[in-house]
Amino acid sequence: MKVYRLPRWALAVSLLLIAALALGACAQQTPQVVTKEVEKVVKETVVVTQVVEKVVTKEVEKVVTKEVVVTPTPKPEEKKLEIFHWWTAGGEREAADAMFRVFKEKYPDVEIIENPVAGGGGVSHRVVLQARLSAGLPPDTWQTLGGAELKSYVDGGYLEPLDDLYAELKYKDVIPQPLYNAVTINGHPYVVPLNMHIQNILYYNKKLFDELGLKPPTTYDELVAAAKAIKDAKPKMSPLGLGTKEKWEAAFLFDSILLEEGGPEYYVKLYKGEIDVKTDPTYKKALEKLQALLPYVYPYHSNLTWDESCGLLVSGDSAMVIMGTWAIGYFKSRGWTPGEDFGAVTFPQKPERILLFHPDTYGKAKNAPHPQTVMLWLKTVASPDLQIPTDVIQGGLFARLDIDPKEFPDPIRQELQTYVRNNPQKLILDQHGSIAPFSFTQAYWDAVAAFIADPNVDSTLSTVSDLFQIYDVKTEAAWYQWP
Amino acid sequence: MERVRRWQRKWRRLTWGDVISTAIFLLPLLIFLVVLYGMLVWTFYVSMANWKGTAPNYTFVGLKWYKLMFSLDRFWVDVRNNLKWMILGVIPTTFVALLLAYLLEIGSIPGTETYIRTLILYPVAMSFVVTGTIWSWMYQPDKGVFNTILRALGLDFLTGRFTTDPATATYWLILIFIWQYLGFAVIILQSSFRTAELQEMIEAATVDGAGRLRILFSIIVPNIRGGMLILISLLLISALKVFDIVYVVTFGGPGYSTDVLAFFMFIATFQQHLVALGAGLGVIIFLMAFVVVIPYTIYAFRKWFE
Repeated sequence: MKVYRLPRWALAVSLLLIAALALGACAQQTPQVVTKEVEKVVKETVVVTQVVEKVVTKEVEKVVTKEVVVTPTPKPEEKKLEIFHWWTAGGEREAADAMFRVFKEKYPDVEIIENPVAGGGGVSHRVVLQARLSAGLPPDTWQTLGGAELKSYVDGGYLEPLDDLYAELKYKDVIPQPLYNAVTINGHPYVVPLNMHIQNILYYNKKLFDELGLKPPTTYDELVAAAKAIKDAKPKMSPLGLGTKEKWEAAFLFDSILLEEGGPEYYVKLYKGEIDVKTDPTYKKALEKLQALLPYVYPYHSNLTWDESCGLLVSGDSAMVIMGTWAIGYFKSRGWTPGEDFGAVTFPQKPERILLFHPDTYGKAKNAPHPQTVMLWLKTVASPDLQIPTDVIQGGLFARLDIDPKEFPDPIRQELQTYVRNNPQKLILDQHGSIAPFSFTQAYWDAVAAFIADPNVDSTLSTVSDLFQIYDVKTEAAWYQWP
Repeated sequence: MERVRRWQRKWRRLTWGDVISTAIFLLPLLIFLVVLYGMLVWTFYVSMANWKGTAPNYTFVGLKWYKLMFSLDRFWVDVRNNLKWMILGVIPTTFVALLLAYLLEIGSIPGTETYIRTLILYPVAMSFVVTGTIWSWMYQPDKGVFNTILRALGLDFLTGRFTTDPATATYWLILIFIWQYLGFAVIILQSSFRTAELQEMIEAATVDGAGRLRILFSIIVPNIRGGMLILISLLLISALKVFDIVYVVTFGGPGYSTDVLAFFMFIATFQQHLVALGAGLGVIIFLMAFVVVIPYTIYAFRKWFE
């Protein structure tokens, strides 16, 4: 009877396992040797002669210790740059390519590894990035907006301050002060911005406006008047295009009305949570104005994303749309020429011409796997060499004010960049993931989108006011200073 | 005493080979259990920790996030929507599938059954992302197929806003779900028809002159309890954890009128960075799924001990 007998294959397997373990252990025996050596004890005899006739010999013992640390020369850093970004859609992809081309020209031997996890672009970008960060496996650098999104990474301890880099490049002097504030948390700049997106721009069908003899509106009243005129002339059209599928677009439209109704100080105070929305007359008035505008708004907005809402202009379903600077790239990709097929004005321009902005930025990960290469990358990001081609393609404004606005091919951005150059203090960080915390803005967009789908002023006032309380905007947004 | 001795003998006869082979078969199951239940417990703990923002934070804060969850209007909209999905997504699917499966089984048009079955089963093979996109194009109120056809037929009064109307949008989403799961339901029901006993009973009833509908409701339905229970449990769970249709077609909109728990969980965790809240929503989904599978579990246990 075979009792307690191991079958031969099991024996073989376990032997193999043991062998493998042993081999593994051997393979690991190439440790980085750090030797500490304490050097000789030196003894010295000192003869001290005194005035007294006595000769006293005193033996003084002096111990000199010297520490010599021998470290093996560090392995040279791999020439690699691991980078996460969300510019993967059409138009943006080309901008990302331009960005990497510039870096490649400067540092041809660096290998760029972009979005190494499949599906890491677009909306899922943050999902993958967050998993990597909490697992302690950060990429070297990743794209982030300024303001609240940046703050969440800084609070998590995932980014290194870049004071030295800013000092070296004198970057603070070449970017607008509000932009510097948007990338500075607790007094330290953490990321390098490469552009500024302006959110409150009204695009219009230029040919139609010329045909009807209309002037592009720059105030709410003018907007309503223009919408009315278009509706009268073309009853099948919805004068103002809108897409609220991803919700933030709804907040854009409402922001521009709020900005006119309350002015810049009000706007900042509101998103810093310093206004009691429930009883605030300005907020209520703005909601009512939005509601009055709805008959002129494209009715099936909840089906459309931002690009589809701009597509309404091209297809002739709408004549105007409020969207950020990135829409220029979209219109161009649909074959529209700026200044000819479509025009753009910042909206509103009353009580003053304020530009709501947010930047795309890159920072340096704490424990970045390739710390030296990241610095090369950040220096490139800060340079006009990268910003000119990238921003021209992607659609924002240059972060650097010393770049000639004439670098933009379209009159729209030439004018905007010139305005920013001369009036940098007119920039305000927008609420698009920027002033107020993320937890709040997401819920806030939903509330505004719900209002546009089914307007009810009173319930929206109380919902929004609750959201400010629940997500504690007042403390979370306290970091932001304007002007 | 005899029993103990038998056990002892059994143990003594146990060879190393037995132990190893048992371990080999048990190991995957153990790993699966540890991973699954480990994660469950972990999620449960995270939902009571103070994790917001990108960095993990495991400070225990009790029911703080649950309190916040229950105070959100959005949460209750989600619960209502999930219940709508579970009722309207499951009952019509089961009923229509029953009729279809029976129709195929009777084989009224000989030789066509396989083709029809393939046609019905086809939607199951597609991903919700694909079908969701196609349906959202069809639903498009300006230029979508449905409204265009209705307008062409002069039936303008029937044209609808479909998924852009906050009041009815969820129902149009559920319709996609029904369409997609119908084939799957038909297959499960058809296979449960095919037991020898049931076939005999049907034969006997036919000989006795029972009508076809009578046979369906008096003989088939009461005798396919197992198949029905599996089908309904699976459909209920699919309806409960629905995410992709909502994500692709409406993104929870208009406003958050078509939002469901699973979608809110995604938004809360990865957009709002409120990981604890997301985990809490996950726990709620788990509890609801748990309630749903209880009837099936009871049935399965009864079978087991029979």
